[in-house]
Amino acid sequence: MKVSPDYYDEIFSFNGEWDMPSACGLKIRQSEGKTYVIVTELYQDNPGTSVTYAGQKLADQICEAKGLKLSDIVYIECNPNTNSKLSFYDEEFFQVSFDADLQHRYRQLDRSEIMKITAE
Amino acid sequence: MNSFKLKLIYPKWQKLRGQTTFNLPPHGPVAFAATLPEWVDVSFTDENVEPIDFNEECDGVALSMMLSTQVKRGWEIAEEYHKRGKLVMAGGISTMLHAEDTVNHVDCVFLGESEGRMEEVMQDWVNGKLRKFYNYMGNMPPIESVGPCRRDLYKRELYNHKGVQMVDLFHASRGCRFSCYPCAVSYLGGRKFRPRPIDKVVEDMAAIENNRLFIVDNSLAQNKEWEKELFTAIAPLKKKWISHTIEDDPEVLDLAAKAGAWYVYQAVYDTSDYIKERVKRYHDYGIGVEGTILLGLDNQTEDDIKRLIDFLGEIDLDLAEFTVMTPFPHTKGYDDLLRQGRIFDFDWNHYNAGQVVFQPKHMSPERLQELYDYAWKSFYASESQEQKMFRLFCNVALREMEEGTYRPRDRRLANKSFGRDVDRNVRNVNV
Repeated sequence: MKVSPDYYDEIFSFNGEWDMPSACGLKIRQSEGKTYVIVTELYQDNPGTSVTYAGQKLADQICEAKGLKLSDIVYIECNPNTNSKLSFYDEEFFQVSFDADLQHRYRQLDRSEIMKITAE
Repeated sequence: MNSFKLKLIYPKWQKLRGQTTFNLPPHGPVAFAATLPEWVDVSFTDENVEPIDFNEECDGVALSMMLSTQVKRGWEIAEEYHKRGKLVMAGGISTMLHAEDTVNHVDCVFLGESEGRMEEVMQDWVNGKLRKFYNYMGNMPPIESVGPCRRDLYKRELYNHKGVQMVDLFHASRGCRFSCYPCAVSYLGGRKFRPRPIDKVVEDMAAIENNRLFIVDNSLAQNKEWEKELFTAIAPLKKKWISHTIEDDPEVLDLAAKAGAWYVYQAVYDTSDYIKERVKRYHDYGIGVEGTILLGLDNQTEDDIKRLIDFLGEIDLDLAEFTVMTPFPHTKGYDDLLRQGRIFDFDWNHYNAGQVVFQPKHMSPERLQELYDYAWKSFYASESQEQKMFRLFCNVALREMEEGTYRPRDRRLANKSFGRDVDRNVRNVNV
């Protein structure tokens, strides 16, 4: 289940749950005055915590590394297409809102929304 | 010279209703015990087969937990020991999966594999410096350091059903290169397959006072050459063993059969000819098959599940085990269902793979629960689970008789089942 490099500009290393060395794909785009941070799950090439489980901990680390403010970004998690026969590994994008009580809210984005963000 | 009396406990869990229950001697606690310094004196209780004596003298308590359905009981046990002024450490698979919660109930959480680490932990403990966390996640010890388990801690008579000794659990490798949808093994043991040195495996296996084993490795089908080497090396021991999937290769299957493969757990995930042929190929080599069938995945409609259950009757499975999709933390299944807001039950006691805790895609939770119950009833309608197990048992006993390794049942325990008197009026044994 190798993830295509088309999904990311760089591999971002982060401290996952219990400081486990972890990695995700990272793409940052500007569109219509907003900063979109797209993190991609790498499956077999992520030795530690998944992007979803890492949640805000990952977002905070990206913001710190890239000089961004969490409140200013649109944070998107990507489940990449791995060309698996199993539908669970189909491509999906979710916009994540981090609430103070850590009950994250997820909104699935359709293909056209994500195309618009990544095309610019 | 230090000395420390450690009470090691494997908490009980609620068994799935309606199923024949067999208690196997647990592997985690005795693997952990083997990593303790010599000056630690261990007393072990598996609460599934005997009650805990909370007043037994000890200097501290260690909880070894494997299943999500054990953690809440583990917390209760910790509370009882806290009332008695004892410190409690927790470790094991489900401690790692539920560490954020468990740390609120115990004095120390050990994360990771314990080989080479317990001298430091126990020294801290006796010196009154036990830390809240020992975090070795992702930092695996050398696989060569994995030694024989402390099987001397088992009370053998408690793992015996009507005179028949239960299989011993054994592991030949750790880690898994696969990252399957409902599974957390790659998070826990790493995504790298780590086989133990073959000579150590053989030495360890030979020393077990049991001719029947369950090789609990996640999947043996991870490295074909290693598999061939393993099977060739263990064949002279004449053990009979159960395992998860074996490589679908004639040479490997032949070697596995000669090495004592008794039956395998094989996932049956669709109704394809491939699955049918896969089961047949095991049977061609005299290896039995217990199908493992996961119900409630997003690609399954009600009709799909019914078709899958019907299909099982066509492929001559020896046994079948049904589970419902359960979003264990640190699995892709958990991530997906969490994002979609479909997990409605976070009570870990319900995470037993027999209770629906999420909203299925194509049906109600209640309907999936009904289909799960229907699957068990349907598959075992003409012959009970215990009868089918007995048939598999007869197969292995005959092979052992041919090879001169058969050990007759222990007549002294003929009226006991896992330490309890057998009620001859009850058909299925539920402990």
